[in-house]
Amino acid sequence: MDAAEVEFLAEKELVTIIPNFSLDKIYLIGGDLGPFTPGLPVDVPLWLAINLKQRQKCRLTPPEWMDVEKLEKIRDHERKEETFTPMPSPCYMELTKLLLNHASDNIPKADEIRTLIKDVWDTRIAKLRVSADSFVRQQEAHAQLDNLTLMEINTSGAFLTQALNQMYKLRTNLQPPESAPSQDF
Amino acid sequence: MTEELDVTGQDSDGGSEEVVLTPAELIERLEQAWMNEKFAPELLESKSEIVECVMEQLDHMEENLRRAKKGDLKVSIHRMELERIRYVLSSYLRCRLMKIEKFFPHILEKEKTAQEGELSSLSPEELVFAKQYMANTETYLKNVALKHMPPNLQTVDLLRSVPKPDLDSYVFLRVKERQENILVEPETDEQRDYVIDMEEGSQHLIRYKTIAPLVASGAVQLI
Repeated sequence: MDAAEVEFLAEKELVTIIPNFSLDKIYLIGGDLGPFTPGLPVDVPLWLAINLKQRQKCRLTPPEWMDVEKLEKIRDHERKEETFTPMPSPCYMELTKLLLNHASDNIPKADEIRTLIKDVWDTRIAKLRVSADSFVRQQEAHAQLDNLTLMEINTSGAFLTQALNQMYKLRTNLQPPESAPSQDF
Repeated sequence: MTEELDVTGQDSDGGSEEVVLTPAELIERLEQAWMNEKFAPELLESKSEIVECVMEQLDHMEENLRRAKKGDLKVSIHRMELERIRYVLSSYLRCRLMKIEKFFPHILEKEKTAQEGELSSLSPEELVFAKQYMANTETYLKNVALKHMPPNLQTVDLLRSVPKPDLDSYVFLRVKERQENILVEPETDEQRDYVIDMEEGSQHLIRYKTIAPLVASGAVQLI
């Protein structure tokens, strides 16, 4: 699964927008949305929110965890702990990227938020790299990775699983062939 | 206007089971089937009833949109959603076709020896595709290489030459229903087998073979 597909899945998350148009309720296959009244907040999926914003039909409100102090606490907590801490949203990376790219004017202190999220991401990826390394070295057969988001798993997952598959194949073929003659001089 | 759909389960010896799904749940099931199919090393059971219901919903919505010309914004929002669902559906079917092309002799062999009442891993159209693909490959190999070989070397055993799906590959999964006593086999000779419990909502990295039946039953979701 590539990053674009993980982002595709994250686009289903609901975000709050403030439309500047009015429209009565719409009945999508995936659920009902609206009605839309100018100035009143309404929850819509991210893909629709971004599209409406690009057409200048709404204003986006950042999710409540996208706040400098909260993110600083999360970043410090992540740096202190050795294991992975729960993230405010299972799609924090995708949400941040899409919201900051398309609606940074609606989000206060966008640059600081971008830096904080990047710090959190870097810390978590570094932890993932270290634990993947020890997983392979100690030849474990199972790992539990709660609190890892889909984007993090997908970033290193493909390589990790291929490497593990190869190692497994090499290990299980270690039996010496029966017909090989031993050479004793 | 949420309609309820009847998703008829596959016909087994005991008759069919009907599960009533809202359209939103149907799309959720499609996405789950899509992710499972993407990450599983083998071809999974065919979810034709989900595919058919989704096609029905898409056609229905297309029909409505064609008739309704007014409301530019509404129409474009519906169309965007249609495109999203269509992408998931096409990607799911493409993934299955890719696996069929990769493992066709083994899949066809399994279909031939499948028991009465066992769920098929191919839809009727996919079965036709697989058989034609096999025939085409055999014809191609014969015309390009085999008929020029000495007479006693003119056959190729596709079952032995085409690699089997690697069921020992590692997969990531998320647990939907609590599981107990999953056996983890050792990697090296010094380690011993041990059992783990999987809590609901936890995520794991493990070999596919151990948890294959859980994927089929829907107790875990591959990620």
